[in-house]
Amino acid sequence: MPGRQLLMTFPVTATSHLLAAYRERGGYETLRRVLTTMKPEQVTKEVAASGILGHGGAAFPAGRKWQVIHLDDGQPHYLCANADEGEPGTFKDRWILENAPHRLVESMVIAGYALQVHNAFVYIRGEFDLPCRRLQAAIDEAYDAGLLGERIMGSEYSMDLVAHRGAGSYVCGEASGLLTSIEGRKGYPRNRPPRLTVRGLFQRPTVVNNVETLSNLSVILAMGGEEFRKIGAPKSPGTQLVSISGHVAKPGVYELEFGYPVKKFIFEDCGGVLGGRGLKCIVPGGISTKVLTGAEIENVTYDHASFAKAGSGLGSGGMIVIAEGTCMVRLLQVMVRFYHHESCGQCTPCRDGMGWMHKLIDGIVEGRGRREDLARMEAIALANDGTTICGMGDACGYAVTGILAKYRDEFEYWIANGRSKFDGRLEVAEAELAHA
Amino acid sequence: MPEIFVDGVAIEAKDGQTVMEAARDAGIYIPGFCWHPQLSVAGNCRLCMVEVEGDTGGWMDIACNMPATRGMKVLTQSPKVKERRKTMLEMVLLNHPVDCGVCDKAGECMLQDYHYEHNGAASVATVAKHRTTKFHELSKRIVLDNERCVLCSRCVRFTKEVSKSHALGILDRGDHSLVRCDEKRSLDDDPYSDNVVDLCPVGALLSRRFLYKSRVWYLQPTPSVCPGCERGCTVDLWHRKAEWKFNALDPRQNVAIERVTPRENPAVNGPWICNKARDLPDLLERPRGGAPMLKGARVPLAEAAGAARRMIDAASSPVALISSWGSNEELAAARDALGPRFRCFVKADHVPQPGERVGDDFLIRPDKNPNGKRARELFGTAPVSLDGADLVLVWGEGFDFADVPRGAKSILLNAFLAPENGHADAYFPTTLQTERAGHYTNFAGVVSAFAPIRRAPAGSVDAEALFGMLAAVARVPA
Repeated sequence: MPGRQLLMTFPVTATSHLLAAYRERGGYETLRRVLTTMKPEQVTKEVAASGILGHGGAAFPAGRKWQVIHLDDGQPHYLCANADEGEPGTFKDRWILENAPHRLVESMVIAGYALQVHNAFVYIRGEFDLPCRRLQAAIDEAYDAGLLGERIMGSEYSMDLVAHRGAGSYVCGEASGLLTSIEGRKGYPRNRPPRLTVRGLFQRPTVVNNVETLSNLSVILAMGGEEFRKIGAPKSPGTQLVSISGHVAKPGVYELEFGYPVKKFIFEDCGGVLGGRGLKCIVPGGISTKVLTGAEIENVTYDHASFAKAGSGLGSGGMIVIAEGTCMVRLLQVMVRFYHHESCGQCTPCRDGMGWMHKLIDGIVEGRGRREDLARMEAIALANDGTTICGMGDACGYAVTGILAKYRDEFEYWIANGRSKFDGRLEVAEAELAHA
Repeated sequence: MPEIFVDGVAIEAKDGQTVMEAARDAGIYIPGFCWHPQLSVAGNCRLCMVEVEGDTGGWMDIACNMPATRGMKVLTQSPKVKERRKTMLEMVLLNHPVDCGVCDKAGECMLQDYHYEHNGAASVATVAKHRTTKFHELSKRIVLDNERCVLCSRCVRFTKEVSKSHALGILDRGDHSLVRCDEKRSLDDDPYSDNVVDLCPVGALLSRRFLYKSRVWYLQPTPSVCPGCERGCTVDLWHRKAEWKFNALDPRQNVAIERVTPRENPAVNGPWICNKARDLPDLLERPRGGAPMLKGARVPLAEAAGAARRMIDAASSPVALISSWGSNEELAAARDALGPRFRCFVKADHVPQPGERVGDDFLIRPDKNPNGKRARELFGTAPVSLDGADLVLVWGEGFDFADVPRGAKSILLNAFLAPENGHADAYFPTTLQTERAGHYTNFAGVVSAFAPIRRAPAGSVDAEALFGMLAAVARVPA
């Protein structure tokens, strides 16, 4: 196992997600202790002390986000768990929602107590079926057991938790788009300022945290912020659930302690590249992070500083392994098609730029490509850099510039020869797998 | 009052203003499609990107959502800003059909203006344009060309925030987004709907009234006042310029009101008007009265005036029904001429029509006459009473001649063709506000001016002049 485990601490069985099993593992004891012995400010202090960074992609310190909320401002505050896990390659929150929903519920009550929230929401993506049913069952169980609702565990604190299903849109995973969607409107991201912690859901101060970030709270409060900080890498405390997929022998969700060597993770824990091929590159954390070649990750460890040094980021923890011989033109085509499909259509450069890039790369794949198209795509990516309401424009730009910078020859080959430098496939053939 | 610097010029921003508002107030124009002073900030066109100089290097963001903070240094013409604008315009033009030659908006299109000012280069796009719906019937009054739409959402925000009909929204996402009507609401029910045509920065939303009627550069606006209700919205009446008259077509087209747009006036109507004002040609270009008549027989003006004078002279109990469509000048003349001799009552020329919105808390007022307030100031508010009258002078429309007491004489001043013109003992065709200058006083006391756009038809007479003619006798006490 790659380092210390904080969330994946139990064998998954048919009943391990239920309240009884969670209680057997010591569940809700932390909540009881928090509600009976701690003040809200103390909870926030512990979270700030833990140094936990957001696990949704932006890696913003959760404690700092919380400290913006003034408990005595006389307004209602809201808390939202972002379970709209839509970043391609990412399915780590799904593991929590399916197998440890009570971990999330308990942590959200702790967070709600710290922020004096009385209405909390889990915005869960519509495509999640089992996770949604498991979460709703957990919420129902918690209500029945007095762990949610009025006077939780006999304390003075009350909080309602609602699971809100999205209708399937990538931008609804962006915090402000998510809130707009909960409000019942089209999930358009909103302009900042104002920040969501100033005017968020229903124009009130709102904290939006990723499911995994929130789920870590009961762990942090159980062991103490200082103790939590000792786990992982110096500037990246704790662990990260990594969903690894692509050309890898043992895809799935793994819990990695920050600071764990990436190469070791891929080749020892995950069984290496499919079909015995070499490692071409990885998409480190969802397709919005820049790809890193096999050589670039040689000495990289799984933490924010190390990935930043290598020129990419951890993103949302959705790692995609790409084997030698995979056509990067086709890969980028798939990515750009996704961004084009998911652009919300507000900002000009993203709305029109994504479609433009999609048409350009389709043209290349269909043999109508021109050398200038590559420069044009880079220019479109640049036009999206920091010019859009949300980060989606930038994200697509990174994906495009990252791949074009490192694998330009493959694009030029396709433009010159009208076909892929390799076999043009994204999958490793069955035959090759059997052979290996 | 934070002081900010825009392109090195110090300007005073009001508290809570954005950089965009402060700059425009100071006369510095930052381009933008989606920003409108009367609508909420959408921040989606990204054209108003400006550079802010900071100690640790500059940063860029949209001016329309950037709070003006003390000492902030904003650049609106830096190379970076210009480059961004050019790129944004390239993106906007990517799927725009550039069919200016057949577009009603050409000549007053923001995209044209911005392209010439900030881009000007030939298209860099090599990909096919995205095809979508044209001539989509958004309402009975408005058609939508989605290919021209730049998705600025001004129209959507207008129906949400200003007219509150919530009729419009955006369907789908990305570059397939379409402005569409709500399934359960209709833009036809929005009496302010045509404002979205003006709001549209490009030629996506088109008025069916004005569709293909004229290139806008052949037209000129003349300031006027809508007589549709006592709000008295200031409007521009657009008609053909003198140098662009048709020689071969119906000459009436040369003097017709081609379209009506709001003339921005914060004291009365802001930048908006209702659809009734858009339909002013229906109200003002009805068939006209023709020539003066005595009991239905056409006579010269002098003869009719003489006959009217004799009637007034002979009357022992004359009553005058004053038009609430008369201008301030006409009303003053009427008071001078008729006041000493007549019992005067103010009459409502127009009442709400079936299906017309009577009133709301925005612009539309229940009194459907433009100058009732001034008329009542001069002539009182007593209800019309014809008891014992032996002469009734009716000025304007809205009076049923069956109500004339048996045996009483009648004098009628009316601009339009009507059966009662022939029934009156004396009839005078009067001029309209499109044929003379004048003022109306609206319900709140704001006086607005209108100017003529064309000559009065032959035979018609200004009510102001006519009252002068009648006064020669009327002023002598009985």
